Amino acid sequence: MKQKQSLMVMGILTLVLLAVYFLPLITFVKHILVLTLFYAFLGTGWNLMCGYAGRLSLGHAAFVAVGAYTSLLLFREFNLTPWIGMLAGGVFAVLVMLLIAYPSFRFGLKGPYFTLASIAVAEIVHNLLVYGRDITGGSLGMSLPYVPTSLAMFQFDGKEPYYLVILAFWLAAVFLTLKMERTRYYLEAIREDQDAAAALGISVNNNLIIAACISAFLVAIGGTFYVQYFRYIDPYSIAGFTLSLNMALVVVIGGSGTIFGPTIGAFILIPLTEVLRMTLGSQLPGLHLFLYGVLLVACIIFLPKGIASLPAIIKARQVKKTARVTQGSEGVL
Amino acid sequence: MLLQIIASGLLLGGIYALVSIGLNLIFGVIKIVNLAHGDFLMMGMYATFFLYTLKDINPYAATLIVFPAFVLIGVLIFRLIIKPLLGKAETEVNTIIATAGLGFVLQNLALMLWKSDFRAIETNLTGKSYEFGGIMLSSGRTWAFVVCVVVALILYYILMKTKIGTHVRAVSQDTDAAILMGINVNRIYTLTFAVGIALVGLAGCIITPTFYVYPTVGLYFNTMAFIIVVLGGLGSFTGALIGGLLIGLVESFAGVIASAELAQVFSLLIFLIILFVKPEGIMGKGARV
Repeated sequence: MKQKQSLMVMGILTLVLLAVYFLPLITFVKHILVLTLFYAFLGTGWNLMCGYAGRLSLGHAAFVAVGAYTSLLLFREFNLTPWIGMLAGGVFAVLVMLLIAYPSFRFGLKGPYFTLASIAVAEIVHNLLVYGRDITGGSLGMSLPYVPTSLAMFQFDGKEPYYLVILAFWLAAVFLTLKMERTRYYLEAIREDQDAAAALGISVNNNLIIAACISAFLVAIGGTFYVQYFRYIDPYSIAGFTLSLNMALVVVIGGSGTIFGPTIGAFILIPLTEVLRMTLGSQLPGLHLFLYGVLLVACIIFLPKGIASLPAIIKARQVKKTARVTQGSEGVL
Repeated sequence: MLLQIIASGLLLGGIYALVSIGLNLIFGVIKIVNLAHGDFLMMGMYATFFLYTLKDINPYAATLIVFPAFVLIGVLIFRLIIKPLLGKAETEVNTIIATAGLGFVLQNLALMLWKSDFRAIETNLTGKSYEFGGIMLSSGRTWAFVVCVVVALILYYILMKTKIGTHVRAVSQDTDAAILMGINVNRIYTLTFAVGIALVGLAGCIITPTFYVYPTVGLYFNTMAFIIVVLGGLGSFTGALIGGLLIGLVESFAGVIASAELAQVFSLLIFLIILFVKPEGIMGKGARV
């Protein structure tokens, strides 16, 4: 998609999502919408490093956790507003990312090795959060002290304000991805052929590290949103493998390395999971996740490039068809 | 005390090594990350559990049923899920995601069928241990260690001394050259995947007497298995054995000195350092991938 087209799609999407805000929806639907945008936001952050540069991370929950715990601890201990805590968490996540990204890219970790390293990092953060129970509350987790609706303290009683906040976050992330046009091309070049990219004068490591840091920063901000919205975190749910995997799935199913892929993926997967959970979860525990898993595997097999590639596939089919038709007519002639 | 910690660490390492042999084979030959590895272990454990409680079949005898059954499952999974994904630009990412999805399916299948209860079997080995000069060795784990060594030796023999083993090694080293030499790569892949899955099923049988069975037991072993495979070096069974023993020792020591969580952090840090410094593993010979 061209830059202008993408900007237009972004504008239209934002307007539609803003219009949705004024619809009289039931709480459950509102919750699904917030959750969907939350994952669309995380996915957009994840996509920046993992989609464009093709370095599959299954440990991004580590940075969500760093962001969440930083802002929550700053709020609990020093009564610091999560708006500032959020930025602190983002910076902290970037530092953690640098600690890992620098050696990873410096030593040229690629493919499955990079993925395994990312899983290890998330496991380390998870274990440290459980171990530091005096500060983090260990595996029991920590809750957010209640404050009546206050914009300054990033706490609201209804779901609607959270919807607006996450919509703004999502918009910012998509806009940032759009604006990084040059870096995106560099990253794609690095993904396709690292040596060729380097030969063309692209600084491979610098671009990868920039992408990784922005990715970690965005995802960490998502962590703060998670705390403020759910008012409770524990290492298992916020630093666990499931969150890392979900972030990746949203992007891969939607279309990794595309601007709107993560958003498309989130809008399909998250409502689907929530509705499955709602309708089947109480009947037989595990059934909804079982179906979810089956759908995922089927999706990967039949649409390996994600749903964003669907128009291109259909177009290719049509071209093939017309080609066959013209060939056929030539044959007659 | 020191000897006791070392002995326990070695036995634990033997179990880790046993669990990771199948993964090593699949990772080493097909070059795909099977994130559902631990979940196949879980399935093997459940199979053993039910064979024991319902049919009164000893866990060690159960291997004779589980191994062939898992070969079939492996062939089926390979045909259905892995094969359609191979040989494309996105193979690496997509096989990881697809096997993660498969793990999801298996875990929740277990949850649906057998609930999230922790289950354990009591065999004539449960709670028993052998004593060697004041060192207590858990009977179940000692046998697991023995099985691990035997399996590694058999596999080593097959890979090094038989024709089919040579084919597998050829495919592992250079797929294109192997195709040119007339090796049916697809058949080798199917075989490797099936045997890899069957080996982890077998590991499930062997560890059931000493571990609880529950739907997410695979997650714990999954991380460990990957650490060991990378530590030891792809396709290197001696490496896997050494990697397993090393991690077992680290966990055993760190568990005594600090805590279980820190023990895992230590193993993971060692893993990361090896990954950065010597990604081909302690015993690996190959170039960086």
